[in-house]
Amino acid sequence: MVDEALAQTSNTLFLTAFGAYVLAFVAAFARLALTSVSREHGIAETRRAAQAGFVVAALTGAGLLAHVASIATRGFASGRPPWMNMYEYSSAMALVAVGAGVAIVWRRREYRNLLGFVLAAAVLMMGSALLLYVEAAPVQPALDSWWRLVHVTMISFSSSVLMVGFAIAALYLVKETAERRVAERSGRFGAGSVGAAQLPPELVDETRAVEGLVGDTAVAASSEASLASPLEQRRALSPTPFVAAPAVAAFALALVLGTPLLQALGYALALGVLGLATWWAVPFLPAAAQLDRLAFGINAFAYPLFTLAVIMGAMWAEVAWGRYWGWDPKETSSFVTWVLYAGYFHARATAGWRGRRAAWLNVIAYASLLVTYYVVNLFVVGLHSYAGVN
Amino acid sequence: MTETIPRESPPEGERRGPRLPQILGPWETLVLLWRRLRRMSTALLLLFTLAVASLIATFIPQEPVIPTTVAQWRTGAAGPGETISQVFDALDLYDVFGSTWFAVLTGLLFTSLTGCLIPRFRAFARVVRRPPGPGRNFDRLTHRVILPSALPPEAALDALTPVLRRYRTRRLGPEQTGSGHPQLAVERGHWREGGSLLFHVAFYVLLLGVIVAEGFGFTGQVNLVEGAPFTDTRVAYDLAEPGRWFGLEDHAGTRLELVDFDVQYFDDLTPKLYRSRVRLLDDSGTAEPTDITVNHPLTADGLKVYQMRFGMAPRIMVRSGETVILDEQVMFSEEQGGIWRGTAKVATGEPQMVLDMVFLPDARLQRDSTGEEQIMNGGPRPENPVLFADLWVGELGLERPLPARDFTRSGGELVNTVMVREGETVPLAGQELDLQLSFPQLTMWSGFQISHAPGRWLLVLASVLLLAGLVPSLYSYRRRIWAEARLVGEGSEVVLAGVALQRKQEFAGEFARLAGRTADRLTVQEEDR
Ligand code: HEM
Repeated sequence: MVDEALAQTSNTLFLTAFGAYVLAFVAAFARLALTSVSREHGIAETRRAAQAGFVVAALTGAGLLAHVASIATRGFASGRPPWMNMYEYSSAMALVAVGAGVAIVWRRREYRNLLGFVLAAAVLMMGSALLLYVEAAPVQPALDSWWRLVHVTMISFSSSVLMVGFAIAALYLVKETAERRVAERSGRFGAGSVGAAQLPPELVDETRAVEGLVGDTAVAASSEASLASPLEQRRALSPTPFVAAPAVAAFALALVLGTPLLQALGYALALGVLGLATWWAVPFLPAAAQLDRLAFGINAFAYPLFTLAVIMGAMWAEVAWGRYWGWDPKETSSFVTWVLYAGYFHARATAGWRGRRAAWLNVIAYASLLVTYYVVNLFVVGLHSYAGVN
Repeated sequence: MTETIPRESPPEGERRGPRLPQILGPWETLVLLWRRLRRMSTALLLLFTLAVASLIATFIPQEPVIPTTVAQWRTGAAGPGETISQVFDALDLYDVFGSTWFAVLTGLLFTSLTGCLIPRFRAFARVVRRPPGPGRNFDRLTHRVILPSALPPEAALDALTPVLRRYRTRRLGPEQTGSGHPQLAVERGHWREGGSLLFHVAFYVLLLGVIVAEGFGFTGQVNLVEGAPFTDTRVAYDLAEPGRWFGLEDHAGTRLELVDFDVQYFDDLTPKLYRSRVRLLDDSGTAEPTDITVNHPLTADGLKVYQMRFGMAPRIMVRSGETVILDEQVMFSEEQGGIWRGTAKVATGEPQMVLDMVFLPDARLQRDSTGEEQIMNGGPRPENPVLFADLWVGELGLERPLPARDFTRSGGELVNTVMVREGETVPLAGQELDLQLSFPQLTMWSGFQISHAPGRWLLVLASVLLLAGLVPSLYSYRRRIWAEARLVGEGSEVVLAGVALQRKQEFAGEFARLAGRTADRLTVQEEDR
């Protein structure tokens, strides 16, 4: 039933893709390092940086190809769609995330400095996939349903897009802090690149009429603050929390999950390096207002899909268990995620919540998605607990 | 004539009026509360509370979902201990979604929603009904181009109409604009607010659907052995969960029969496919059996029958002399290691007798780690079905209406243990009892969930409305554009100006493209003349 040789090929291709992404990540930061930054010229791509850019593109492309092939061969090996257990979702989600990152950069070149971060997120996802590895196998009867296929496919797809949205929101928080501090230092209060719109007076009224109840939409003026001196933004932030917070969090999490000490230290080191890289890359990030909009665009794309996926899940539950919604832990927890994202959209339309607070809500909402995915899937008993890893 | 845009006062909650008097009458309090509830920040707070409540319900076991775990938490056998458990109980945390405070929260959310929606609907209706108004003071708009054209003003505006066809357009004569020049006033993006309203309205439909489904619905569970009939009445269910307004008389009395059940396994012995063949018993009694499998329920008379569990049901016979005192397909339940356990009441009079049985579908002798031979179970397929039966006799508490497995061991005595294979008969107890045990046949039992689910179409409708509203509300955005044509010599000068009410950053590009197309169009029309 399961073609062992193909399954083995799939694993090899997975590791190939993983390696290619790691290298592409390194190359992406090398590209940033080769980019010249100066007070006079701002950020300018040098010839060598452009060459590094080619390397990033080639490695990412190769990784994507290997990754697609890995998922396809796994599907052929087990004779069913290859995103049916946690190892497989994680792999598929990483693929979609990289795909989404590439699509964004493809459409808007000004976002290309972000690719390294998307790759990092995908690498972390694939790392977790390795921890959750299970052999290729066919599915149990309850899970063999068209609804489930649609439900799982859409949930995985939208979650991976939301992962990119989360990464951008987190970068927004970093960049916004940097911009704000630089502005405060230079004596301009409340600068930052998120400001009020300039509307002609006769339209201000109508805008109010419609949106006063709705709240104004977050608007960005052009980002003068970020052009002042890119490097000053790095100086405005201390690297310590960037290294310490992710490292400690990863270490603690790994220990809680019963990972051996040395391995846990390895994860802590990897995340610490990622944090440091983030700190270092602050000047290269697009302006905070741009990141805020990008994150919103991504979330707005994924949220209706996520909503539809939850509805599909209810349809499937109706067919499989005779009830559309039973507040099973998994259902409850995806409901939490859904409500938190609704909160995020509301926050963007609420005075006093736009910007930072909305971004924090985005971070919390995504965290709850991760909780659904890891904690509830693996540790809380419910009808959905098949997804497990045993 | 100029059209003035009516001024809308800011939302009530945000108006900074004079200080409120110290003591509020009940009416004022109500008004104040209502205004509070209508605020966006209140909605946000309520949504956040909803999220926290659900988060609690994710991690504290919920009684309607897993009652056994909740029972363990209550006794302190699992979970955080008895004291904390009492606190949980006091706060209804074992049944968050059935609790009063959750109902209050839902009520507040919907009140707040209503409070938000009424003024939004009004404002929306006003904005949508009003045709696009004339523009003034174009030089104050950031997005503005002036395009010279050889066409006279009215012809130039005629030429532009197709370029703006994706917009809602209104042609204004020179007397209608403040400037004395004809204009084309256009706008788009009302779907943004319209979609958002639709999305929020969908929640009322959703609520209604849930109320109908929960209040007038019924779910029950029943386990049937092969060959057993079933009639849809309240007593027939092992477990019944009627909705509040679903009475005893609402059961349709549908009759069906489990003809047989079969299961296939993967090589790793996990179930691959299981299937119940069920016959609907109508008065003619001739209906063909239908298959029920997981994901493929049977629908009959407004009832849906779902395949849930299954298990082994060895048919057991006990004879005393020549009299059959027990002939039952006993439903066994699976325990660890693929071993099945079941209990049967043999006699409830004097003396009381119970058979406490263990069943191995595929019994094998295997050496364990110490080298001793042990009887183990090879797998779920009935390759070598063997039954071990303990006969208990004495005061077993069978007079109480409890399932057989809850008999009181302490009051009785384990008289004998026997082993019997499928098709065999063995002596069970001698002397005055004179009992024989037979295991004529292995049958199966199948567990069903049966539900009556009204109002599903409301839920589907709500889902459709939710999505139909959500997508445009996130993707469309308001734009207003004006084209004013001023007479210059023989030809004209077309001022194209625009304003974005949302997604302003993207507007520069959009406007540039629009201006490009406008210029092209004007040129083409000039050449055509
Ligand atoms: C029943 C709970 C609610 C949920 C799940 C919910 C969800 C959402 C979602 C997902 C959005 C973003 C999509 C869109 O623009 O349509 C949204 C927008 C909005 N909601 Fe709600 N909402 C709820 C209740 C409320 C309440 C009580 C209010 C009033 C205070 C409200 C006011 C708004 C407004 C004004 C917007 C538009 C924001 C914008 O234009 O971006 N909502 N809501």
